[in-house]
Amino acid sequence: MNNIEDRLAGLTERPPQSLERSTVVGAGAGDLVATVDSRFGPLWIAWSSIGITGLTPSFASPTVESFLDHHRRVSYEASSMPRSLETEIEEALASGDAESIAFDLRGLSDFQQSVLESCATIPPGSVRPYGWIANELHKPGATRAVGTALAKNPIPLLIPCHRVVKSDGSVGNYAFGAEMKRDLLIHEGVIAL
Amino acid sequence: MKARDASNDAEIHTALVTDRDLGFTMLVRRYQPGIYSGARRLTHRHEDAEEVAQDTFLRAYRALDTYDDQRIKDLKIQGWLWTIALNLCRDRATRPNREMPGLAEPPDSTSDAMPIDSESWNRRLARLSDDQRTAVVLRHVADLTIRDISAATGRPEGTVKTDISRGLERLREAVKREEIL
Repeated sequence: MNNIEDRLAGLTERPPQSLERSTVVGAGAGDLVATVDSRFGPLWIAWSSIGITGLTPSFASPTVESFLDHHRRVSYEASSMPRSLETEIEEALASGDAESIAFDLRGLSDFQQSVLESCATIPPGSVRPYGWIANELHKPGATRAVGTALAKNPIPLLIPCHRVVKSDGSVGNYAFGAEMKRDLLIHEGVIAL
Repeated sequence: MKARDASNDAEIHTALVTDRDLGFTMLVRRYQPGIYSGARRLTHRHEDAEEVAQDTFLRAYRALDTYDDQRIKDLKIQGWLWTIALNLCRDRATRPNREMPGLAEPPDSTSDAMPIDSESWNRRLARLSDDQRTAVVLRHVADLTIRDISAATGRPEGTVKTDISRGLERLREAVKREEIL
């Protein structure tokens, strides 16, 4: 017979695997991840108890692991997304209007959050130069920093960084290539391009 | 970002200050299995143990929001978590319509496998005084140090040692009696 201490130590039990996930996500410290279909193919979407935290097309991150490697928050793969949230996202992607979507930008710098919040106010069918956001933030000299912040936009398509163009009217850079940016703007009826 | 494997307390302290949510996840990874195992012996029911193991960390997360960096760095993490967990265990113990230890329904087939004499141990532990049971479970099931048990229970270290010693002695006697029968 083992001694009593060893037998007590043998009573250690592993909690159900889902407990860590429900605790971290329930506290708001972690996200869930699932895909939503779009005209660009499946999109990885991460969301917290506050709002959407990340979006990456699956052509850029083919597996959930590759998405999680780059996502700034601890996340767990969900079997599916709540139907109401999925519908909101699908409608926002179709219309280009994400006003009803809540975003969770925690973990980003104050400046980056301000840039993204300003960017989110650009309506579909419109474009603004990088300097417009800098002026909105009362930092007219920060045009380059605005560009850097937009390049790191964790929620592209829904936060429409594709609507920010160069001051000469040319499309400028985009995380998924200038061609996709041009395609998005044509789709939104920005006919000047 | 994927949840990290268990980290040591120094890494958790640093992460809690620099990235609260990442630090919290590391905290859950490292300490939730122990809280669950201990709560399983103190509440007798795995459903209660799951609730305690989850609510302990949800309360800890809310508390961390109110702590400044120095207070977080000074935290004796395991003792602090068990202070919260023991309060939750006591709350459940005073709920009406509690089932008797050992009579709780076994978990269904989808739950994790249970040690074969799990309910026997619940009965033996239930015969100890509350202080003895808590001290024995925290020391030998949840693997806390005497100092952490003292911090969690608010009882002096010498008293904790006595609780453990007497608790173990009673358990030895109980096992011996059962084996003779």
